[in-house]
Amino acid sequence: MKIKEKFNLRQASVPIMFILICAVCIPLSGLSPKMLINEIITRMGRNSFLILSLLIPIMAGMGLNFGMTLGAMAAEIALILVCDWQIVSVPGMILAAIISVPISVLLGIFCGKILNRAKGREMITSYIMAFFVNGIYQLIVLYLMGKVIPIKHSSIKLPRGYGIRNTVSLLSMRQKLDNMLAINVAGVKIPVLTFIIIAVMCFIIIWFRRTKLGQDMRAVGQDMDVARDAGINVERTRIISIVISTVLAGLGMIIYLQNMGNIATYTAHSQIGMFCIAALLVGGASVDKASIGNVFLGVILFHTMFIVAPRAGAYITGDSMIGEYFRVFVSYAVITVALIMYETNKRKAKSAASMKLKDAQDSEETQKSADAQEG
Amino acid sequence: MTMKERITASLKEFGLPRLIITGFLVLLLIIAPFVGSDLPTQISNIINRFSWNGILVLAMVPMVHSGCGLNFGLPLGIISGLLGATISIEMGFTGGMSFVVAILVATPFALVFGSLYGWLLNKIKGGEMMIATYVGFSSVSLMCMMWLVLPYHSPNMVWGLSGKGLRTTISLEGYFDQALAGIAQINIGNISIPTGTLLFFALLAFAIWAFLHTKTGTAMTAVGSNPKFAKAAGINVDRIRMLSVVMSTWLAAVGILVYEQGFGFIQLYMAPFYMALPAVSAILIGGASVNKASIMNVIVGTILFQGIVTMTPTVMNNMIHMDMSEVIRIIASMGMILFALTRKTEASR
Amino acid sequence: MDKKRQLIFRGAAILIILAIAAVMFVIGRGHTIYFDNKTAEYDGKKYESFYKVAVIKDKEKVAKLADDERGMADLMGQTLSVTLEITDEKGADPHSAKVSMPIPYSLDGIVINIPELMAGLPAEAYMTEFVPVATSEDEEEEEVVIDEFEITDDM
Repeated sequence: MKIKEKFNLRQASVPIMFILICAVCIPLSGLSPKMLINEIITRMGRNSFLILSLLIPIMAGMGLNFGMTLGAMAAEIALILVCDWQIVSVPGMILAAIISVPISVLLGIFCGKILNRAKGREMITSYIMAFFVNGIYQLIVLYLMGKVIPIKHSSIKLPRGYGIRNTVSLLSMRQKLDNMLAINVAGVKIPVLTFIIIAVMCFIIIWFRRTKLGQDMRAVGQDMDVARDAGINVERTRIISIVISTVLAGLGMIIYLQNMGNIATYTAHSQIGMFCIAALLVGGASVDKASIGNVFLGVILFHTMFIVAPRAGAYITGDSMIGEYFRVFVSYAVITVALIMYETNKRKAKSAASMKLKDAQDSEETQKSADAQEG
Repeated sequence: MTMKERITASLKEFGLPRLIITGFLVLLLIIAPFVGSDLPTQISNIINRFSWNGILVLAMVPMVHSGCGLNFGLPLGIISGLLGATISIEMGFTGGMSFVVAILVATPFALVFGSLYGWLLNKIKGGEMMIATYVGFSSVSLMCMMWLVLPYHSPNMVWGLSGKGLRTTISLEGYFDQALAGIAQINIGNISIPTGTLLFFALLAFAIWAFLHTKTGTAMTAVGSNPKFAKAAGINVDRIRMLSVVMSTWLAAVGILVYEQGFGFIQLYMAPFYMALPAVSAILIGGASVNKASIMNVIVGTILFQGIVTMTPTVMNNMIHMDMSEVIRIIASMGMILFALTRKTEASR
Repeated sequence: MDKKRQLIFRGAAILIILAIAAVMFVIGRGHTIYFDNKTAEYDGKKYESFYKVAVIKDKEKVAKLADDERGMADLMGQTLSVTLEITDEKGADPHSAKVSMPIPYSLDGIVINIPELMAGLPAEAYMTEFVPVATSEDEEEEEVVIDEFEITDDM
């Protein structure tokens, strides 16, 4: 019981730290409450779905899925194609979602298979995986599009005749999803439809946890060997969890980009993984445990910090760059601390388990172990 | 075992990605003269870039040996080097002297940072690589703030307008630009060989090789290959691991200084961010694995990696008029790291 | 038996998704419509431009055209229905006309000449494809930036 309480305090330390940072920075930033709330609501709509995609691999014990970038890239390819076909507004998003899913599934299977060969170091592998697939993404978007994959419109094609421009405008889709059913409460725009979609996704995740597959995933996450003995196909379950995560990340990226209104073709996805993971951890999640509550708390705290830090930094030091670097540093530091906490806990648990085992052995063969300790 | 089996077995050991990359470079070398790129210039480029990057790759060796895995935390050492370089210039040293002072100043930083880093890695055995990556990232972004705040005044380094805050790139002209490369440089036609830099690399490589054959060195290898056995043999595992991390960090600090003297500029802020990845993939291409690396791997790997980096742009451009080198470099190097991470080694200790 | 049923369900699900995709292709196709209030000639006859035309689409005024002007509106789907409020000459009362016409799927941009449309000429007379003129800045090669270090404000 005591151990559990201590654990919870450790879990809560990161959110508390962030609340303190925000509490100091908000007054210094000089932002009006209305502006701040507007920004936070916008960013909640924009990012929550993406962060939800991280939950399932955590459940399956595969850690933070840095490979969620793969889904983001699939979504970008789908959106570029849809943009070229001039399918606009919400139908364009639905079509992009349909196209992104098979690409995400293929990438997810590939990623899952690789991660199955790197058990115990899934995170670093999925992290490198994101870079590797980014190379393939660049190959497709920069060289194959316009040459092999037909691209008609010169507005998105590079003047040289192939490859996609640095930014692709999504003006025809811009906030079309957010503006549908949007309501205005005291000057704060609330994208109701986007929030409904996010809420539905939350319920699906809660439902999924109770299904047979969800239970299997938890079992695999707890102990792979035990799960295997119980007749669960561990490898397959792990692949499925990565596939689901990749597909969700792809759909989340479409929501994200429709809000932004343009695609930064070569950079939009590169930091998505890092920021989503940092936000989730700020919400109090750890590498092996994350809930939906962590997602929303994390989005609010992390993005509040993100909005106010540069302004507060500029106010204190007179240099806006310091605030910008500060928030980047905080993002990385949060992930670092969470990883360290996870690994130390894992080691403690491991040594506690081996102690127990040793105790059991000791009581069984008191004489023998006494001899061994003397020798 | 038949001949065929033996060949397939050794191929498997060598690894398909490595085979593809080596084959690709050989192909590039063969094609190069036919598509009109000047082979001597190319080779000269490869040698030069080898001399710049060799020590950064060498910095992988101690940590791999002690079982700490690939040093994704290389940026931490690089930062020590950058501190050394900037402080040396701030103190007013010029020419070759500024290089010596830079190394001298960087050393205590590397020792302190390395010790902290090593202490941390001892706390989280088994999860080194991911945490190393993020220690690197955190330290680079922390230093981004520091470069702005620290009291530097040298007019050659700070922003001209505000008179404070270091610039993103600082020219080394008048300081240690070509400090090593200029020593006994050999110029034959289009080929120029930076003898001094190569000798410096050889010196450090030999030192590491010799160290690995001392008593402490063999203990390090033992810790890496079988920590339980090493512990039973009375080796202080944590101390040895700490030593290896400090060595790697110091080598990275010296490595970046050598890189800068060849390149001619100091790059600050986000520049060191991803510098670990080329070094990691280079040593892997050279035949190292997550827990095994030799000096030979460093030399072969750096030549192969830099060969591809320098050859692909020109050859590809001349051949198909498309500069796909960047993409090829990313796919090849990341593919190599992925391959190494999926090898069955002692994944969970 | 169970496997067969599962297969049928999966097949049906894929078919439904493909059908949705097909529907999206049809209803989601975007066009840009340019309205011209310009004097035009067709078959040797001249059609004079109006003094003022207002184009109303979905109860929203999308363009207000004086003589010899061009206005623009975005359209989703293949049917354009707008209300034109036409003022023939200065001081005269405007009269409105509802028009609805199919738009060819393949064209991104379409120019509609209002005087010809109002004169009741066939579609090929008042409807022409809009061909964007390549501007000189377009010809400049754009350098692709693959900078992964960029710190963006909009996360």
